[in-house]
Amino acid sequence: MRILLVEDDAMIGESVADGLKAEGYAVDWVRDGKEAEVAVSATPYSLVVLDLGLPRRDGIDVLKGIRERRIDVPVLVMTARDTVRDRIKGLDAGADDYLIKPFDLDELTARARALMRRAAGRSEPVIERGPLSINPATREVTWRGESMSLSAREYALLAALAERPGVVLSRAQLEEKLYGWNESVGSNAVEVHIHNVRKKLGEDVIRNVRGLGYTLATE
Amino acid sequence: MTSIRRWLLAALLAALAFAGLAAATATYLSARDEVDALLDEELRQVALSLRDHAVLDLRRLESVAANPAQRVLVQIWDPAFDRPYVSRLVGTSPMPRTDEGFATVLHDDRPWRVFTLFTGRQLVQVAQPTALRTELAARTAWKLLLPVLVLLPFLGLAGWWIVGRGLAPLGRIAGAVKERSPTALTAVPTVGLPTEIRPLADALNDLLSRLDQSFSLQRRFAADAAHELRTPLTALNLQVQLAERAQTDEDRARAFERLHQGIRRATRMVQQLLTMARLDPDAATATPATIDVGKLVASVVEDARPLAAERAIVLNCEGATDTACVSGSEDALRILFNNLVDNALRYTPAGGRVITAVSRDQDAVQVIVEDTGPGIPEEERERVFDRFYRGRSAEATGTGLGLAIVSQVVEMHRGAVTLEAPDAGSGGLRVRVRLPAATPGSEPPSAQGASDQAST
Repeated sequence: MRILLVEDDAMIGESVADGLKAEGYAVDWVRDGKEAEVAVSATPYSLVVLDLGLPRRDGIDVLKGIRERRIDVPVLVMTARDTVRDRIKGLDAGADDYLIKPFDLDELTARARALMRRAAGRSEPVIERGPLSINPATREVTWRGESMSLSAREYALLAALAERPGVVLSRAQLEEKLYGWNESVGSNAVEVHIHNVRKKLGEDVIRNVRGLGYTLATE
Repeated sequence: MTSIRRWLLAALLAALAFAGLAAATATYLSARDEVDALLDEELRQVALSLRDHAVLDLRRLESVAANPAQRVLVQIWDPAFDRPYVSRLVGTSPMPRTDEGFATVLHDDRPWRVFTLFTGRQLVQVAQPTALRTELAARTAWKLLLPVLVLLPFLGLAGWWIVGRGLAPLGRIAGAVKERSPTALTAVPTVGLPTEIRPLADALNDLLSRLDQSFSLQRRFAADAAHELRTPLTALNLQVQLAERAQTDEDRARAFERLHQGIRRATRMVQQLLTMARLDPDAATATPATIDVGKLVASVVEDARPLAAERAIVLNCEGATDTACVSGSEDALRILFNNLVDNALRYTPAGGRVITAVSRDQDAVQVIVEDTGPGIPEEERERVFDRFYRGRSAEATGTGLGLAIVSQVVEMHRGAVTLEAPDAGSGGLRVRVRLPAATPGSEPPSAQGASDQAST
């Protein structure tokens, strides 16, 4: 799951990025509105966390731009503008949720999970895929009733594959979901993670689809 | 507490009473003169008629002179008798003889007006007590004074009402002022106010509007400040949470270092907010001093040397050749140059240079602070003076207040500040501050109205 963070303040940006990364998300952090527009049209993000007070291009304009181009990524706005009118304006411009500064890191990640869950078309918080169950809130993975201990990347890999039932993701797509821009990715990093997940959960948890990529086993 | 109404009324009534008394006195004096002339003539006429008709026969005289209505006393000395004839006896002895003509004598312990006529054989004296004349004149004067005295209470009542009505606009203004509150400082209505009270109302409205302006500035400042404090607070909040959940010692150390940075930034922001709130807009004009800018900048640069050394930045100060003095507040100007030098050091990468230069031309003192930092893009050069505006420079963790403070102090001193790119291609930023020069000992340029109002 890859998240675009748009925040001009260095300290807030750094902390939010770290907090999201600690939850196993890949985070791209940009500091102004123009960069955000470029990033959002180049990469399919699972979520955009958007600050409204941005240099070069205002956050509301960025938001409107995203919606005008029919990019239906969930957008979580975080702002210091806290009047009801501001919030209505933000939501009407296409925001999916609103977070008022100063906010709690846990609240940010909880809202991020909720938004991504709804974007994936689910309403129940726990993802059930056959014998596999994933709880994004606790990042707990159960395989055939047994609790499994996975690394952050391994968890992110499973979560990406489990996001939509029956989805097939290529190696490049998985790479994109697992790593931010400034992270160096080994050429076979995704294969290594798949190998590790199979070792822990069993060979049959992830299935190769020839020529297309990978998908979760259904039973 | 003095009351205009009571004072006016008392003064008016006193003036009226005094005028009445003065008129009565004048009347009395002139009436005395007229009565004197009239009664003197009466005395003479009585004497002459006695000579012409009755003198020889003293017995016939009884009926004439004994008439008390005549109010005169007739006394005739005849050589044939040793005692004079007296129309009615007043006192125990006759009136003494007098010379011919008018005279005033004391008889029976009273002053009398006497006309004496010598007929050849007899001496005729016609006399009248002077008290009669005084009484007549006094009666005339009293007739004049009486209506005034009778009218006085009515005039008092009328005056009380009239003065009250005249002062009513004051009461209306007081009521209007009482309705004002610090949140609603609208002007008091001046429609229909008398010309005497109009200046008061105008002055009051002027004060109200300036108060309102200053209040709304303060309110906006407080709102802006509270709003902007959210940014450092958000960062602190997140940094604390990251520190709490750090798994390794290395992560924890990094999180705490960031937390310290966050606290330093929040502290700096609060300090700058305080500085800004304390910058008294009238300080430069209320108690102006003549300040040697060259010396001031040199001292600011000296104070900044440790920071420059820490950041490995060369810090130069090119002093003024002439004395470059301005008139204003030393504290405010120190804050101004401190901010400029501090900013320059903060944004200049290690190994860079910061140069300050002070010069003086025809009518201004010019201070230049130049750095080799990233500079400010032309389109942002106006906005960086806005409160809380932070440029997009990547390392900027500033408060967005530094240049706003600079601009406030420059404005206070009626100067100008501009941002420029130094000579082509070299990058960096040149801040040019121009302040009106003061010739030592001369009066400062007075802020329009501000200093006058401050001293009244």
